[in-house]
Amino acid sequence: MEDLKYELKRQIIEELKLEDIKPEDIQDDAPLIGDGLGLDSIDALELVVLLEKYHGVKIMDEEIGKKVLTSINTMADFIVEEKAKAT
Amino acid sequence: MKIFVTGIGIVTAIGLDAEENLNSLGSLTTGISRSNSSGLMLGEVKLSNEELMKKFQLPAEDYSRTSLLGLLAATEAWANNKIDKIIRTGIISSTSVGGMDRTEKYYFDARKNGIANSSLMTHCNGRTTERIAARLGISGYIGTVSTACSSGANAIMQGARLMEGNKLDRVIAGGSEPLADFDIKGFSSLGIYDNAICKPFDDNRMGLNLGEGAAFLVLENEYSISISNNKPICMLAGWGNATDAFHQTASSPDGKGAALAMTNAMVKSGITVDKIDYVNAHGTGTGNNDLSESMAFKSVFGNNLPAFSSTKGFTGHTLAAAGAIEAVYCVQAIQKQTVLPNLNFTTPMKETGMKPATGFQRANIEFVLSNSFGFGGNCTSLIFQKA
Amino acid sequence: MYISAASTISHHPTFRNKGFSSQLRELDPASELIRPDYSDYIPAMERRRMSDVQKMSIACSLDCMQQAGIGQPDAIIVGTSMGCCVNIRSFLDKILSANGGPLSPTSFIVSTHNTVAGQIALLLKNHGYNMTHTQNSLSFEQALMDAMLGIKEGFQHVLVGGADEEEQSLYNMRAKLNIEQLHPVSGASFFILSGDHGGSEGVNLLDAGSYGLIDSITDCTEHFLLSGGQSAKDIGLVLYAVNDKKGMAELNSIFRREQLFDYQIVAGTSFTNSAFAMHYGIDMLLDGSNPGLREHKKILICNNVIPENLGLILLAA
Repeated sequence: MEDLKYELKRQIIEELKLEDIKPEDIQDDAPLIGDGLGLDSIDALELVVLLEKYHGVKIMDEEIGKKVLTSINTMADFIVEEKAKAT
Repeated sequence: MKIFVTGIGIVTAIGLDAEENLNSLGSLTTGISRSNSSGLMLGEVKLSNEELMKKFQLPAEDYSRTSLLGLLAATEAWANNKIDKIIRTGIISSTSVGGMDRTEKYYFDARKNGIANSSLMTHCNGRTTERIAARLGISGYIGTVSTACSSGANAIMQGARLMEGNKLDRVIAGGSEPLADFDIKGFSSLGIYDNAICKPFDDNRMGLNLGEGAAFLVLENEYSISISNNKPICMLAGWGNATDAFHQTASSPDGKGAALAMTNAMVKSGITVDKIDYVNAHGTGTGNNDLSESMAFKSVFGNNLPAFSSTKGFTGHTLAAAGAIEAVYCVQAIQKQTVLPNLNFTTPMKETGMKPATGFQRANIEFVLSNSFGFGGNCTSLIFQKA
Repeated sequence: MYISAASTISHHPTFRNKGFSSQLRELDPASELIRPDYSDYIPAMERRRMSDVQKMSIACSLDCMQQAGIGQPDAIIVGTSMGCCVNIRSFLDKILSANGGPLSPTSFIVSTHNTVAGQIALLLKNHGYNMTHTQNSLSFEQALMDAMLGIKEGFQHVLVGGADEEEQSLYNMRAKLNIEQLHPVSGASFFILSGDHGGSEGVNLLDAGSYGLIDSITDCTEHFLLSGGQSAKDIGLVLYAVNDKKGMAELNSIFRREQLFDYQIVAGTSFTNSAFAMHYGIDMLLDGSNPGLREHKKILICNNVIPENLGLILLAA
């Protein structure tokens, strides 16, 4: 799980081109959109793409998206849950 | 200075000329349907490039669809106008993606197959305008503006300002936009694409549908009309442009830019808010635009909202061409003294309770306001007046 | 109309370098864009989505606002022939690599030509007039004409500029103009045009003109000068960009050899680098050391980069 969270942080930094930020700077439970990391609605769409592209999991609607994209923790939990459903 | 509209030309998913478009509006017939290739709902013009090239007897040289659609609409608007040295004439067109329909084709070919056909890429926005200018015999001021979805309205505004600034006496102004994979994929990636036909201003709206088309107006001052003898159809009374400055794509919750544009247009026209008889809204059918625009209506009109509607349920969102296409519809609304219908509306938005006009309703129409808002927060409003 | 500020980012050290005109040499074909530290001007969260054309334009715009000492311009007007072509190409690449799978939206939303003008407004929180002109080699002249209209209509200060980034995969300039020796460049030049010079001495923009699909640059040039009450002999220096023999022959028939200077030698070629030429001219007029400008303190910029288009800009000290 810790590896997954680190991987997510690394991917977020790379895909969203967050200069000057290292994975260690992102807290697992810090808000991602708006406060905290300060991402916007376009970044949220990029995170949806990231989850599908790198982890094979799809966010099916906006309501689910809002919950899943809250923090690194919620994103990691979602990946693990969706993968468990698939097996 | 009085600025008269003396010619209109239009091609959209609901018609290949002004008359066909008006008939479709009157019979509530949409031009949006499911595309075979993309599976998405699109407002496609029912004419192939080959048919367009044949119509204009164009040589085998590559013409982008942008140029072809533009030529069709511009030649209809221009009609029997002639170029001479006495009337200073210019053209201002607009487009978002220029000849992207060709550029993307050759770019994909080049990337996949290593074919270096870069010289065939029609990326330059100004090329379409030059093609149309050459066809009509216009030289001198040949301009193109590109402000995303407010472009067509801005082209018309630019034309009027150049006339008021004593640079030109007569202008053909408008816009042209093809359906390109670039835009279809782009808007889909934003998650604002409705899988059914769009429902502007409806509480259950799910997003927009893309469309393609072109439209042009011929604007003349009194001096030009005294020589051309063209009959005025109506007047362009005013215009306003402002910036939302909220986000690159999303509109502000209070619709600040939109409200400023509408207010500026009314100030320019010298009229008060109560004089507007009908508003042709930007109304794309997205959650964000329609709410933001409604909030702008509230702040500008208060409790006296005039009849309003979006015509994008007929044509789809034609991006840069939208402002010009809807300008033609506003002119037709004045000609026919009718409010235009908003398709697919059932339930008012819970935030506002506002209800657009849903039928082709006869009314006393003196002033019509047309809104167009684009990426980059660019907001433009035009006001047309019965002559 | 008074030019309160001017700022250029180019392949030469022009940025924040008053007096650069006396240091300019012939453009090195291997030269690259000299980029300032953009973090001085644009926060990281905004900067990450921007290509060169946006970053250059914002840096130049902020520099101009500082020079002129104004908080907000009444209008922001940009001329760009190719727009944000790096982002356009990036999105096309994404479509190809996504291959029907999920597609990243970011490069699409910053691909429209008006992203430059829009981003400047967003950063400044500016709600004023905002326009983008994209008419090939006449884009900047049309932006200038728009700015002049705005001043006449009552704007006090207009931020106006020309910018393009070089991106040969979408538009091969050498192939399109059929000239192998061109040096395509990226660059941005921005200005503040003001209705009132507030008592300071400086350079005025007398007129700007845009002529498309022309037969003769002679007719257009003479008409342009005459309508402003000028004639060819009143011009101290003509900064020109001409790429064909006919155009050059006409220019030689209107002006004396000593009046003419080919700005493409220093500026390279871009469809909006008549904006570079304008800043170059302003700098020369302010510097005052050019012997050609001693008697007639007027510069005409003659942009005939594409033979059938003519852009004209007239400056005076």
